Amino acid sequence: MPDLSYLPQIALSGIAVGCIYGLIGIGFCVIYNASGIVNFAQGAFVMMGGMIAYSVLNTLGLPLPIAAAVTIVAVAAAGVAIERVVVRPLWDRKATMFVMILATLAAQIVIERLALIVAGDQPKTLPQFTDLPPIRLGVVVISYQFLWIVGVSLLLIVLLGQFFKRTKAGKAMRACAFNREAASLQGINVSRMLALSFALSAALGAVAGVLITPTQYTAFNVGVPFAISGFIAAIVGGFGRPLGAFMGGIMLGLTQSMAIVAFGAGLKNVAALSVLLIFLFIRPGGILGEAK
Amino acid sequence: MTNLPAITSRDPLRRGFVALPWAVACGMLTYAFIAGGYFVTVMSFAMIYAVFVIGLNIFMGTAGQVSFGHNAFAALSGYTSAVLTATYYWEPIAAFAAGLALALLVALVVGWPTLRLKGHYLAMATLAIGLIVYEIATQWQSVTQGYMGISGISPLAFWGYEIVSERGKLFALVLIVLLASLAAARLRASRFGRALAAIAGSEDAARALGIDVAHYKLAAFLVSAAYAALAGSLFVHVVEFVSPEVFGLHMVVLAFTMLYVGGIGTLGGPILGAVIVSLLPEMFRGFKDYQDLFYGAGLIILLIYAPKGLAALSDLLPRKGRA
Amino acid sequence: MTLLSLQAVTRRFGGLVAVDAVDLDVAEGGVTAVIGPNGAGKTTLFNLVSGFQTPDSGRILFAGEDITARPPEAIATAGIVRTFQLVQLFQNLSVLENIKVGCHLHTQGGLWSALLRTRRTRREEQEVEARARELLQFVGLEAAPETEASALAYGQQRLLEIARSLAARPRLLLLDEPAAGLSADETKRLSGAIRAIAGRGTTVLLIEHDMKLVMNTADTIAVLDFGRKIAEGPPAMVRESPPVIAAYLGVGHA
Repeated sequence: MPDLSYLPQIALSGIAVGCIYGLIGIGFCVIYNASGIVNFAQGAFVMMGGMIAYSVLNTLGLPLPIAAAVTIVAVAAAGVAIERVVVRPLWDRKATMFVMILATLAAQIVIERLALIVAGDQPKTLPQFTDLPPIRLGVVVISYQFLWIVGVSLLLIVLLGQFFKRTKAGKAMRACAFNREAASLQGINVSRMLALSFALSAALGAVAGVLITPTQYTAFNVGVPFAISGFIAAIVGGFGRPLGAFMGGIMLGLTQSMAIVAFGAGLKNVAALSVLLIFLFIRPGGILGEAK
Repeated sequence: MTNLPAITSRDPLRRGFVALPWAVACGMLTYAFIAGGYFVTVMSFAMIYAVFVIGLNIFMGTAGQVSFGHNAFAALSGYTSAVLTATYYWEPIAAFAAGLALALLVALVVGWPTLRLKGHYLAMATLAIGLIVYEIATQWQSVTQGYMGISGISPLAFWGYEIVSERGKLFALVLIVLLASLAAARLRASRFGRALAAIAGSEDAARALGIDVAHYKLAAFLVSAAYAALAGSLFVHVVEFVSPEVFGLHMVVLAFTMLYVGGIGTLGGPILGAVIVSLLPEMFRGFKDYQDLFYGAGLIILLIYAPKGLAALSDLLPRKGRA
Repeated sequence: MTLLSLQAVTRRFGGLVAVDAVDLDVAEGGVTAVIGPNGAGKTTLFNLVSGFQTPDSGRILFAGEDITARPPEAIATAGIVRTFQLVQLFQNLSVLENIKVGCHLHTQGGLWSALLRTRRTRREEQEVEARARELLQFVGLEAAPETEASALAYGQQRLLEIARSLAARPRLLLLDEPAAGLSADETKRLSGAIRAIAGRGTTVLLIEHDMKLVMNTADTIAVLDFGRKIAEGPPAMVRESPPVIAAYLGVGHA
């Protein structure tokens, strides 16, 4: 029986990693809503986020905020590249949903292998954003990285909300989510929205990667587990609902950190995957019900 | 039946196109027997994968379903064979029977809820099943010995007769592949196979004609799981070693590449794809790190530019006898 | 004798009552047509009978048996086979194979018989082949049995779908707007085929917009409007019925 006084601490680490899953889950939703495509290369963005930030920081010696900005732009560009090179040609040929999934999964593997060749197989990590001793509140210890993760995630959600509500591009993307054909008849350039959604989704993944790497590590093969966690978050939240995905992510993060305490770290992926299967079998529409 | 002859008698060019990849595959196998050595091992892998892909093709090509998780069944059967023969000294055939039974049992239990899903939900659920089995293989160290893997697995043997020579193994594998292919061909040409193909075409129409769609999907899932289980057991006996990586995501991507290179939904496609894709790393020897990179990139290019694969090469020619 | 009997069948979609307490008896033998303006609930009615949707209330009896809310495959087994408004062929299969799939209900072969190819299996396959070719001849598609179904012209696809349904030997054949998208010539040929099907002893229930086809083929006509049955009887009588005239004039000579 684990010591119950650890519980709040475990919950905190669950929330932090859950925010990350949530951001990745939102990335899934953004592309899905704009195009109906489930991009299985989503994890590659997270991996690239950590890896590129590490390289920029250590080889170019740029300060962290600039390194992070450079990384996000670079990964967004990579997102557009995937859209142009892999997704667009299939989209134009009216490929089936399954072929699209397979192609994006293949893209994931290509990126993973490129990262292995370029950066090697050694895990890498980033420094904490704020190098101060953690804050103690009774039995609970709060690290500054935790505050960064939660703060940036919440900020991003507010910004995304404003983007979808107020900007022209955001409104156009929502229109696509609602009805692509009608959107296209109204003069919205649906294919540009596809590229934009990949850029946005990749940027979200990059932010997630940069935020989480200081607390663990990054390596060429972290993408798939992150993508699956993000997908689970999206499913739990009812696919296509960004806010639901974020809540789903936090739920998953909490479940996983509890599972680590109960069964050991080795089975945390099995726990996450089991959550996925249970949700798919019992409530495929998510906790809030399916979007649309 | 006025223009029936025009359909059955195909022009020589067309026939040549159909025959070309087959000539390559047969040539490679023959060359392996003559040349021996490492090439025999390469072709043996190709044959094992061919068994896996033939099964996958029934579920995906014929029945039009999706599974990213058939590596789970290969792993279940492979590990059962490995543990029972290496630790408990079972006969390979008996160990395979146990592995097959386990794989089918798991396929039945997970298949029933999984196959009610559609689209990306089905894709993700099957992917999760494969990953769960992989994770368990890495974590359940008392049985699987984790990443270290299990060695000392008994070689391929049939009723007490061990096949030791590499050529002998390849010969046995070729026979198994031919049998597996024959079985797949018979299934496809039967009432059973037609029902699967009907489901791929239109589930509503199939149901309207009295086909119990859920029942047939599950049956197709089980059949393909049996093929995967056979491939998994064959692998561990031929290599005499197993580790989780053998049945990881890599296996899924490789199998899909083979399926698409050969031609999904065609009878000979799986064999063709397995042989040709297995040859690729030999051409890029010394680029071991680049293997998966090439598979992935190659798969993307295929999906975009030749989604029907080599077996459908003849489709590039103008077709006669169309109404 | 009544073959199909709908008793106060109702189906709602949200606030809309698509089928409103409809009673309908279809006599065995002959052709019955259901007509009505767009949105009158005809297709919903078909979906309810064929099991693709379930009624909120009411009963559906077929040959005296209650088949309400059974799944489509069970209803097909009972003897009702339908076609679809948008043709649902197995595009990936040949013309001949499409019909062979239709024979599914009256053949037995399963997984093992397929693998072993027993003598019985081979005989069954021969019978299926013969029956499929005969049906192709019946609808005039015998010229290219190996053609992929997707390569057929639209009118031929309609005929193939009907032939495939006949392969299942239905007691009741439901045709959902069979003349939609057909040329005048093809429609004429279709009405011949429908009469011939009825002549072979299969009861036909059809939904149709093409009034000429309906008047030429139907023995009985039921008229739906806003989910309710407003008239029923032989063509000559229905044509003169005031509520029918009102309903049709209301939507502008549909």
